[in-house]
Amino acid sequence: MKHVDILIVGGGPAGMAAAITASKYGKTVMLVERDGHLGGQLVKQTHMFFGSEKQQASVRGFDIAKGMVEEIEAIDHIEILKKTTIVGMFEDGVVMAQQREGYFKIKPQAIIVATGAYEKSLAFKGNTLPGVYGAGAVQTLMNLQGIKPGQEVVMVGAGNIGLIVSYQLMQAGVKVNAIVDAAPSIGGYVVHAAKVRRMGVPIYTRYTVKQALGESKVSGAILCQLDDHYQEIEGTEVEVDCDILCVSVGLSPLSELLWQLSCDMTFVGVLGGYVPRVDERNETSVAGVFVAGDVSGIEEASSAMVEGYLTGLHVNEYLGVKEEGLSSLIEEYEEDLRALRSGPVGDKIRQGIAQAKR
Amino acid sequence: MRIEKHPVLNFEEKKKIIFFFENQEMTGYEGDTIGAALYDNGITTLSYSGRAHEPMGIYCAIGNCSSCIMRVNGVPNVKVCIEPLKEGDRVERQNGKGDIL
Repeated sequence: MKHVDILIVGGGPAGMAAAITASKYGKTVMLVERDGHLGGQLVKQTHMFFGSEKQQASVRGFDIAKGMVEEIEAIDHIEILKKTTIVGMFEDGVVMAQQREGYFKIKPQAIIVATGAYEKSLAFKGNTLPGVYGAGAVQTLMNLQGIKPGQEVVMVGAGNIGLIVSYQLMQAGVKVNAIVDAAPSIGGYVVHAAKVRRMGVPIYTRYTVKQALGESKVSGAILCQLDDHYQEIEGTEVEVDCDILCVSVGLSPLSELLWQLSCDMTFVGVLGGYVPRVDERNETSVAGVFVAGDVSGIEEASSAMVEGYLTGLHVNEYLGVKEEGLSSLIEEYEEDLRALRSGPVGDKIRQGIAQAKR
Repeated sequence: MRIEKHPVLNFEEKKKIIFFFENQEMTGYEGDTIGAALYDNGITTLSYSGRAHEPMGIYCAIGNCSSCIMRVNGVPNVKVCIEPLKEGDRVERQNGKGDIL
């Protein structure tokens, strides 16, 4: 059994940020990542981030990840375990980890779950055909692995991810034939939509995909129009050529470990699905188990990082650390988070977070 | 197919790796996942679904969805979208659940 002060599950933006602040006052930290590298989904983000300078606006996602990894690797009381999956969390506080070689147990004093999210899918005929991807998947293939996934794409979903990935597909030399969205208006930021429109990509609202065509892989898609109640309107079907059908219809929290621990969970649609009820320190209903990032509600990487920094500090407070400056640092990050969630864009997020408070 | 020119990213030429798909010799590159190397070689059907036996390929590419499970060196249910390619790997399509006994 391995003993550690703070266990962090997930080495994405929230988990990395949490590791940095959690280790600040000498507590030992174990950062567990199932993949072979830290960074989570930041490593495939080739676009520059928004926000303020403090949240590294204008820096590309993969460069943000690189900087954070370097910072973490320089801290010697953070133990990084890659290719390691947390598969069980038990009532007595013991955590089970799996590596290729086998299983082992960890006994932490506190846990931060920062497992992130998974991409939602859509039910339509042919949705398992090769060539149907989550939008994040083509990002991984292109931006991380250098593979061009096809020649022509139809993107389903005009939120920020759908719009940004459409642009990145064009950067990789893929033609974007259409972006469709079931909603009556474009969900993503106007700047992103304007950018792809300027490059000649049509965006159709009130449209969805009805079927992916093809025998062994995608050769086209049947799209159709939707009425005010999101029902398909018969006779509006159009066939569009494509060999990539990208599904970008949002994310859901990857919260299996929290369910396993019987954390109090609640359904909040605007946060992407079931989320843990948390107090103002991001502690779940199970004492000593904290959350940070998308697992506690879908937002974006900037707020996930700030939430990570903040939660790392809260856990220190929970473990009895009474260093000078700790509470003012907490206030500072709380203010940053408030600023990121301010304004009309943050309306839904603020409402969702209020619903998930315990 | 590889991306050759990209406005933001540089893909350097890496060391070649020989592997086998259904006993057919193929070339991948160091740093590839098995899935990436197969897609580069034009192989997009990686497995067949359990009930309807329909072709499946990469869906999430980050090890979440199990759409890409294959038999690698005799071991079934390997998520090839995240499995690093090694010299001499023998990769086979999987039909439904893999036999582990």
